[in-house]
Amino acid sequence: MSSKRTLFLVEVAIFTALALLLDIIPFLAFKVWPNGGSVSFAMIPIFIVAFRWGLKGGLTAGLLWGLLQLVIEPVVVHPLQGFIEYGFAFTALGLAGIFAKPVQQALKDGKLAKRFIYIMLGVLLGTFLRFLAHFYAGIVFFGHYAPEDQPVWLYSLLYNGSYMLPAFVLSTVVVFFLFIKQPRTLLQTAS
Amino acid sequence: MNEYMIIGQYVPGNSFVHRIDPRTKITIIFFFVIFVFFANSVGSYGILTAFALITTFITRIPLKFILKGLTPVWFLIIFTFSLHLIVTKDGTVLFNLFGWEIYSGGVIQGVAISLRFFLLILFTSLLTLTTTPIEITDAIEDMLAPLNKIKFPVHELALMMSISLRFIPTLMQETEKISKAQSSRGVDFRTGPLKERIKAVVPLLVPLFVSAFKRAEELAMAMEARGYRGGEGRTKLRLLKIQSIDIWVYLLFTCVIIGLFLLRTY
Repeated sequence: MSSKRTLFLVEVAIFTALALLLDIIPFLAFKVWPNGGSVSFAMIPIFIVAFRWGLKGGLTAGLLWGLLQLVIEPVVVHPLQGFIEYGFAFTALGLAGIFAKPVQQALKDGKLAKRFIYIMLGVLLGTFLRFLAHFYAGIVFFGHYAPEDQPVWLYSLLYNGSYMLPAFVLSTVVVFFLFIKQPRTLLQTAS
Repeated sequence: MNEYMIIGQYVPGNSFVHRIDPRTKITIIFFFVIFVFFANSVGSYGILTAFALITTFITRIPLKFILKGLTPVWFLIIFTFSLHLIVTKDGTVLFNLFGWEIYSGGVIQGVAISLRFFLLILFTSLLTLTTTPIEITDAIEDMLAPLNKIKFPVHELALMMSISLRFIPTLMQETEKISKAQSSRGVDFRTGPLKERIKAVVPLLVPLFVSAFKRAEELAMAMEARGYRGGEGRTKLRLLKIQSIDIWVYLLFTCVIIGLFLLRTY
C-alpha cells in the first residue's frame, strides 16, 4: 500500500486533469459564452475529490485547476481580475469539502434524501462562491472598461449567472447519480 | 489521438522568444500587464504597441495561431469600442451615424481602451504560444520557491501540475475509448434532447472515474517504490538557467518602460 500522502497528491492531480479534460471535449461542453465560461461537467471531478478527501482535497484540486487554466489558456486583462478569476474562483469550489463528512456518513447509513441534500449544499456552496468571484471580477474589470453610468453589476450578474446556474444544476444531479451508482468506489480509500 | 499531443496554444519553434527563460517571460509579462495601465498618450501607447508587435513578429508564429489566441476577446474589444463610441460625449462632433452623433472624444477613448485590451491579450498569449505548459510549471515552482519558507507546499503543487498536464492526453484517449465502447452499446452522446444526453454521460463518467482512481493508485505506488518522499533533496530533470539573452531582454524591457514614462502625459 502506498502512503496516504502520495496517493492524495496523485489522485488530486489526476482528477484535476479530468476537470480540464471534461472542459475540452467538444461534445461534452456547451461553450456559447463569448468571453469565457461554459456549462460542462468539468466541476464534477473537483467535487468528487472534495467529498472524498474533505476540505483540503477540494481546495487543493480547485487551486490546481485554476493554476492550470492560467497556464494553458489565460485571459488576463487586469492583475486583480487575474488573481480573482484564476486564484480565488476555482479554489472556492473546493469549499464543497466542508460537507465531506456528512455526505460520507449519509452514504454509510444509506440515507438517500440526506445524501442528496448534503451533496447539493456542498455543490451549491462551491458554485455560489465561484460565481461571486466571477461576478465581482466582472464588475471590477468592467468598471474599469465600461463607461460610468452603465449598470455593470446587472451585466455581470446575467452573464455569469447564465452559465453558473445550469452548471450548478448539472453538477448536483450528476454527482448525486455517481454516488448512487458507485458509492463504494467513492468511499473506499477515502479517509 | 496523439499521445504527445500538446494541450493549450503552444506552437513549437526555435525563435528568440521561444528560447527566453520562462521565468524571464513571466516576469516581463507581469510587469507589462501592470505598466499598460500607465499608458495615456499616443507616444506611450505607441511604444508599447511597437514592443508587443515586434515581439510577436520575432516569434515567427503564423498569424492564424495568434488570431486564434485572441478569439475569446474579439467580441469584447469590439463591444467596448462601440460602447465608448456611442456613450462618450467629449470633444467635437465628428459625424452622424444613423442619428447617433459620434464625438471625437468617444473615438479616442474607444481606440485607447480597445488597444489596451488588445495589448494585454496579445502579450499574455505570447507566453502560452511560445512556452509549453510544463515549462511554465517549472518556472512557477522556481519563482514561488521562497514560499517554501512559510510551509506553502510549492514543490507538491508544481508536481501535481506536471502530473495533471501529463495525464490529460492519456485520459483523453481513455475517454475516447470508453465513449466508443458505450456508443457501440447504443448510448448516444451527440444527439437527442438535453436530458437524455446528460443521462448518457453517466455511463461515460463512471468508468472514467474508476479508471482514474486506479491510475492514481498505481502511480502513487510506482512513485513510492522508486523512493519518492516529497520535495526535499529532489533533483530536477529539466534545469532552468538564466542566460545572456535573458539579461538583454530585461535591459530592453526596462528601456521600453523608461520610454513609456517619458512619453506619457502627466
